[in-house]
Amino acid sequence: MDIAVGTSLDRVVILVYFALVMGFGAYFGKYSKNTTDYFFGGRRFAWWLITISIVATGVGSHSFVKYSTKAYQYGLSSTMTYMNDWFFMPLFMFGWLPIIYYTKVKSIPEYFERRFNRTARYLATMMTLLYMIGYIAIQFLTLATALYRIYGIPLMLTVILIAIATTIYMHFGGQTSVIFTDLLQGFILIFAGMFLFFLGIQYLGDHTALSGLKSFWMNLSPEQKLPLAHFNHPPDFNFVGIFWQDGIAGSIGFLFLNQGLIMRFMAAKSVNEGRKAAAVNVLLVLPISAIVVSNAGWIGRAIFNAVPGVLPEGLAANDVFVAVTNIVSSPGVFGFIIAALCAALMSTADTLVNASSAIIVNDIYRPLTKKVKSEKQQLDFARWTSVGVKVIAVILVPFFNSFDSIYEAHGWFHSTFTPPLVVGVFLGIFWKRFTSQAVIATFIGGAFLMILGQFNPELISPFSHGIELRPGRGYSYIGALYNIVVCAGVGVIVALLTKPKSDQNLEGLTIFDVHKLKAIFKGSAVNEEKGEDAIVSWLVDDTEENVMRFSKRDMDRMKANPGDLVYVQDGRWWLGGLKSAHSVYGAPHSEDGIVYINPTHLDHGQFVEGLELKAEKEM
Amino acid sequence: MDFARTWLPFLYLYGVGGIAFVLGMVLILRTNALRTTFHRHKKWVYVLLYGFLFYAGLHALFIYLAIGSQ
Repeated sequence: MDIAVGTSLDRVVILVYFALVMGFGAYFGKYSKNTTDYFFGGRRFAWWLITISIVATGVGSHSFVKYSTKAYQYGLSSTMTYMNDWFFMPLFMFGWLPIIYYTKVKSIPEYFERRFNRTARYLATMMTLLYMIGYIAIQFLTLATALYRIYGIPLMLTVILIAIATTIYMHFGGQTSVIFTDLLQGFILIFAGMFLFFLGIQYLGDHTALSGLKSFWMNLSPEQKLPLAHFNHPPDFNFVGIFWQDGIAGSIGFLFLNQGLIMRFMAAKSVNEGRKAAAVNVLLVLPISAIVVSNAGWIGRAIFNAVPGVLPEGLAANDVFVAVTNIVSSPGVFGFIIAALCAALMSTADTLVNASSAIIVNDIYRPLTKKVKSEKQQLDFARWTSVGVKVIAVILVPFFNSFDSIYEAHGWFHSTFTPPLVVGVFLGIFWKRFTSQAVIATFIGGAFLMILGQFNPELISPFSHGIELRPGRGYSYIGALYNIVVCAGVGVIVALLTKPKSDQNLEGLTIFDVHKLKAIFKGSAVNEEKGEDAIVSWLVDDTEENVMRFSKRDMDRMKANPGDLVYVQDGRWWLGGLKSAHSVYGAPHSEDGIVYINPTHLDHGQFVEGLELKAEKEM
Repeated sequence: MDFARTWLPFLYLYGVGGIAFVLGMVLILRTNALRTTFHRHKKWVYVLLYGFLFYAGLHALFIYLAIGSQ
């Protein structure tokens, strides 16, 4: 089918959008003063900012194409993968999140070194980087596939142009730019996706929303209304396979191993804000995102059933998103929807590039550099690393373009790189007996058995749950169960045969010490007494000591003592903590309503003269 | 629509997923990672249970509606 390539107005809309995002992102470069700011945004943001920016990260450009395709073929069960993430939330919110936040690990591989040893760190670094850079390449490829048809320029040139556009704002701004551009793009892609759904409903109801909804529901078959797929049929879309591949391996991978997501949570002003962000994301935003990425397929199916001939019989499922968008929208609006696809790409790619760059700096550059480098040198290196990551991703694009579909390339990735890391990190956190030798055996021995399974599908058959084996193509999703079992099996056997680390060497690194982490983080006893927030004016003190000094009365209201941790932010809530700083309470003074900060706090927080600050005791 | 198309996936999802969820809850409670004596933590227990029931309820509702529309 010859699908729409847009009008001049659509092309202008897309170009304006790119310019807007680049300018918006570059503006936030002034908030990156060191590598902590560059990678983690200075641990200062509110939960709602983290939530929306996570949406933009989670919804990649491939999501629109991939889920619309499945929605068109199978109906509402396309939402399965967006609605099976709650099972691991207790362990994430009260196990992994406090561990990574309070131990101040800068990357997943760094956790592997602290928990196991340096060899485990290097193996984890290699696997994580391969995963993330490949993922970036897939994002570039997906968007370029859509854009090069609209602009008529070669695919690889489109890929390079997209890489340059995202480089401009990321180069200067780092994580703060990523969070704020993702905030903007998160809103845009949710709005665009829901707007497309609205246009589709209007189309089905002949410009009446209520009758459109009724027509939408009536024109889906009972099977297409089911929220979960058939248990084990067909081989390319069945419930049990997708449950193990996405609901188990994917959920653990996303929550526990996605360096980009971890860095986003570490940018939260506190662990509790991180928990709120995670809960709202999974309970509210993911179901909305499921509608956003799938609705073009549902609308397409309802149109196909209700108005025969509008969508051709032979429509390729991968073309559904663009075809339906073209039918239900007008010139300009089509460009806007494609701009949302750009938003999805840029926001996912920038997070992954920033995360890859963090891993290269923290897990390769710093450990291997004998001479201590200044913060400025490290920051420069981090910025140029993000450029290097994109160059490698661009080089990898032709490799992924050789797969039959983007869906297949993406699936191959998940099933190949996630299980050993998932098993390693999961057993590391929740089983003290898990040893360094065991994690290395999991990576190497597990990977070997996984490859064996790829070439000998009969090894996977006992785990198949009755899913049909496709000759020459093997099992797709249920392979994840086999991969998890063999990796965990190797890890558990080796762990039982080797000597574990002492409890002292594991302090703060497993779930069993989470209750001690606050004290470890603070370096003294935790003050849990609940106080009030204080609104104060600020003055700069010429001290270099990292303390903020409040009046005795203000400290009493906050129930704070000298040495406790304090967080101050610009009083305007909608900044979400952008202008803020963390410090320690110093000795009190006698001027009520005044806080004395030092020049570093001012530089970090970018506070505005004459505007009050809100102060709260952290612990 | 047969059982493997309607309720079996639901039972498997909340059976196997439910085991992971319950084990997680037990672990965070037994290790004191989540302390019900803290007011703030107690609220999270309700949120975690609500999340599980919310998704189970939503999936059950749509299966019920789909079966009813046959």
